[in-house]
Amino acid sequence: MSKTNATTVGRRALLGGTAALAGFPNIGFTQPRQPIKVGVPTILSGRVAQLGLSSRNAMQIEVDRFNASGGLDGRPIELVVRDSRGVPAEAARLAREMISGEGCEFLLDAEPSSGGFAIHEVVRETGTVTLHVNSETSSLTADPRQRFWNAFRVARQGIHDSIAGGAYAAEIAKARNLRRWMTVSPDYAYGRDTTAEFVEYVKNFHSEIQITGETWPRLFQADYTENITRLSQGRPQAVYSCLWAGDLVTFVEQASIFGLFQQSQFFAVNMADYTTLQQVRNLPAGVHSGNRYLRNFPDVPENQEFAAEYNRRFNTFPTNWSWQAATSVRLLGTALRQAGGTDPRAVAGKLKGMTIDSPFGVGGKLTMRAEDQTLVDYAIGWGVTIAQDPYIQRMTPADWAVIYRLEAEWKRSKGWT
Amino acid sequence: MRDGVLRDAGIATLVLAGFLAVTLGGFGSAGLLDFAIRFATFGLLALSLNLLIGTTGLVSFGHAAYFAMGAYAFGLLMQRAGLSIPLAILLALGCTALLALVVGALCVRLSEIYFAFLTLAFQMLLHSVILSWISLTGGDQGLMGGIPKPPFLGIDLSRPLHLAGFGMACLLVSTVALRQVVRSPFGAALRMLRDNPDRAAFVGLSVYRYRLAAFVIAGTFAGLGGVLMSLYVSGAFPTFAFWTTSGEAIFMIMLGGVTVFLGPLVGVAIFLILNDRITAVTEHHGLFLGIILLVIVLGLRKGLLDFVVDHWRARRGASP
Repeated sequence: MSKTNATTVGRRALLGGTAALAGFPNIGFTQPRQPIKVGVPTILSGRVAQLGLSSRNAMQIEVDRFNASGGLDGRPIELVVRDSRGVPAEAARLAREMISGEGCEFLLDAEPSSGGFAIHEVVRETGTVTLHVNSETSSLTADPRQRFWNAFRVARQGIHDSIAGGAYAAEIAKARNLRRWMTVSPDYAYGRDTTAEFVEYVKNFHSEIQITGETWPRLFQADYTENITRLSQGRPQAVYSCLWAGDLVTFVEQASIFGLFQQSQFFAVNMADYTTLQQVRNLPAGVHSGNRYLRNFPDVPENQEFAAEYNRRFNTFPTNWSWQAATSVRLLGTALRQAGGTDPRAVAGKLKGMTIDSPFGVGGKLTMRAEDQTLVDYAIGWGVTIAQDPYIQRMTPADWAVIYRLEAEWKRSKGWT
Repeated sequence: MRDGVLRDAGIATLVLAGFLAVTLGGFGSAGLLDFAIRFATFGLLALSLNLLIGTTGLVSFGHAAYFAMGAYAFGLLMQRAGLSIPLAILLALGCTALLALVVGALCVRLSEIYFAFLTLAFQMLLHSVILSWISLTGGDQGLMGGIPKPPFLGIDLSRPLHLAGFGMACLLVSTVALRQVVRSPFGAALRMLRDNPDRAAFVGLSVYRYRLAAFVIAGTFAGLGGVLMSLYVSGAFPTFAFWTTSGEAIFMIMLGGVTVFLGPLVGVAIFLILNDRITAVTEHHGLFLGIILLVIVLGLRKGLLDFVVDHWRARRGASP
């Protein structure tokens, strides 16, 4: 009996082995499916390491979810994350190496704008489907010369924030009669562009506002005494700032000592992010801020769950870069499944105009707008700070109909439509 | 002298033919092509800098200024003037030579630490101009929108294979040219200036003019490296003109060797291979790269090629 069984098994094994050798590996034994490699060039070291770390963490949560739910017909996504150290030429090199040397079929570019534009030019040539996760510079998708079939933006953008911020600030200004404004923003392209756009829109909504002075600290400046002194001497009724992360933390702590927040209403577009809110000692109450990422805006269970899971796995809270990174994986995963494979043209075709369910969108939806391949309908709002968790209250959502209308006018004024 | 030119040109042609045979024969991976482009780019930067450091004895901390000038001038000419690539390269090199002439005229009278810091100051000035002149340079976001690469003479530089071949050709032609500069009477005069400028002045050489000429030649070849870099990344960025780029070039020279002509190229290869391999396996690449480089520098106490050549000479001298 045992002899018969042994013979039978031996024959099957022999048949399987022969089939495998003949080029039918799945007949002989089960082989793991090839992973879909996705390259992630980003910054993991230096002063802005948080950008890459919080992007990578959020991507990993979504990738684990995608893989656990079966991947693409059994094929899991594998992230290949590399550090460019914030050097654009290195970002371009890494992108090329990921595509040509490491077999990455897609890129989730988690670089800031400078590296993002360098990668943009690489994938323009290679035709790799790429989702820009962290570049907020509007021209990346708004300028038609920058647009091509395989590049998408999954990030908030400057023009949307400026319109939303301008509308909110104008309402507050009208209610409290704030006419004399000053600005304090970092002295580089993002700071100057974002401030100019905010000023344009706040005046658009409330024409009596006047900018009586501006001061431009350097990026990563340590001492803001000079800037705070200028603001104190100018005695503005309101101050606008697009300082961010560590710079904003330092500025707020130093400005608190000088009593700036008692003297003027402060509008800081980048305040409401946990990396900033939790870092400021004695967070002043009553600072107006746009949302970067808040677990209670939108106040839906899935958003709270995302923050809780992120906190459980990484012992910190998500950032603005995190929700964008998570969204990029969800969009790519959905497009892969809808396309039924990894053909770049098919995946790009599905991404264009795609709407997905998302806790980060208005009404639970996010859309990859077809006309300029950029993310819209994400949650934008402004509120005021309080000293304890949840740090921000009285969130006022922005009106996307207004954003669309003014964005279209802005594009026309630039000659981009 | 003439025999030397022919021999060097022959070797360079053989190297280029070998490279093209490997890549066109299907053996060249995309990684090899990428490496070749970057090797050519940084090779030009390091080799040209060594004309100042190794041959003339002028340690410039601001050599990346000419690298950046070449990249920005070429990028802007291609984007705004719509020229052919060879013409744009020539004009970009002309702009770089002019910048080197102006900066050099002010710097080469000084020596040692004063020269080093003045070149660094001019480089940081250029860096600030690039950051501030946003309408022309794009500021901190760099030259955006891509650089057009219209084909010329059957060469299409938007294809990595063609760009790698073109880059290697530029590097090899430049290497032969720089080799002739070093071997010529002009090169001998530069070495004399390096070893004893007073004696050179006594025999009637104009220290100022010779140093200035070396400065302009070195700057121009660094500009060609910048042109290749802008073609590679399809843009130009302020980091090209930052002091870290100059620092990396000095480091490459120190790694490969100052006294042997091809030393900087060996240094470039070591630096790029270490950078690429370490970046691929760890996020703490700065720490690992630093330790490895420290071991090499402290262990050999000179550049790798200097060490090899000295060792070889010592053995040859010791043999009967």
